[in-house]
Amino acid sequence: MPFAGTALNTVGLAFLTHAVYSTHEHTSLHPSTSTQKTPLPLDITLELLVSILILSTGIVLSSPSLKPIQWARWAGKIEREGRQSEGKWTREGEEVLSEGDPYAFLGLKGGKGSGEGRRGFWDVRGKRKEYADWVRAGGKN
Amino acid sequence: MNDERELAINPIVQTSVQHNTQVVSNIRNLTASLFGVAAGTLGLESYPGFIFYLIGTLIVSSLVFVFRAEGKPKEYFHQPLGDLWGGDVFSGLSSFVLTWTLFYGLVRA
Repeated sequence: MPFAGTALNTVGLAFLTHAVYSTHEHTSLHPSTSTQKTPLPLDITLELLVSILILSTGIVLSSPSLKPIQWARWAGKIEREGRQSEGKWTREGEEVLSEGDPYAFLGLKGGKGSGEGRRGFWDVRGKRKEYADWVRAGGKN
Repeated sequence: MNDERELAINPIVQTSVQHNTQVVSNIRNLTASLFGVAAGTLGLESYPGFIFYLIGTLIVSSLVFVFRAEGKPKEYFHQPLGDLWGGDVFSGLSSFVLTWTLFYGLVRA
């Protein structure tokens, strides 16, 4: 929700500036002396508190989302979503991608159905049987 | 011992932990100076100011809990009580006091 966060930040900042300015005007028009203190009008106080609430909500919403810390959940998330753009670009114009599968270089995934990629298991006994059959058949082809 | 075995069964991703800690500390620093602006403008003095800060951080923690951790802090923080609710509360205090005194002086004095 980057748009909502930015909108809330803008609105909150405007209200905050207005509230602080109003307080400044109020204190310069009614300076509080040592004998009596002039309290801040209720509307300025409310505006200030509401603007602070809006701004902190906006800051939380515009911050990057958290990442799961448990390995299983983190890996599952990467598996499901793949590598995505983080919305940032390097100075050379390359897109910054989110982190991917750290074991992708093993190539275990490529073998799914397509027959490519590294085999996780090589059937030794099957191959030996195949060879024995080939020898028994006379070693032809 | 029990904790170690738990970590061996369910390992933790260090980069994610760092990322989460940094996000929380960023939010804390930004909002702490914001609360300082509010406290100074309201003209709070001594203990009420610090209580204001503590209430503010509590509100921000619950906002993070609702919007960023989606109600499941166990999934994003190793120790939810220390890292989410209490994380970086006192490191934000200095920037709070800084803007608190600045705005008190600018607006009230």
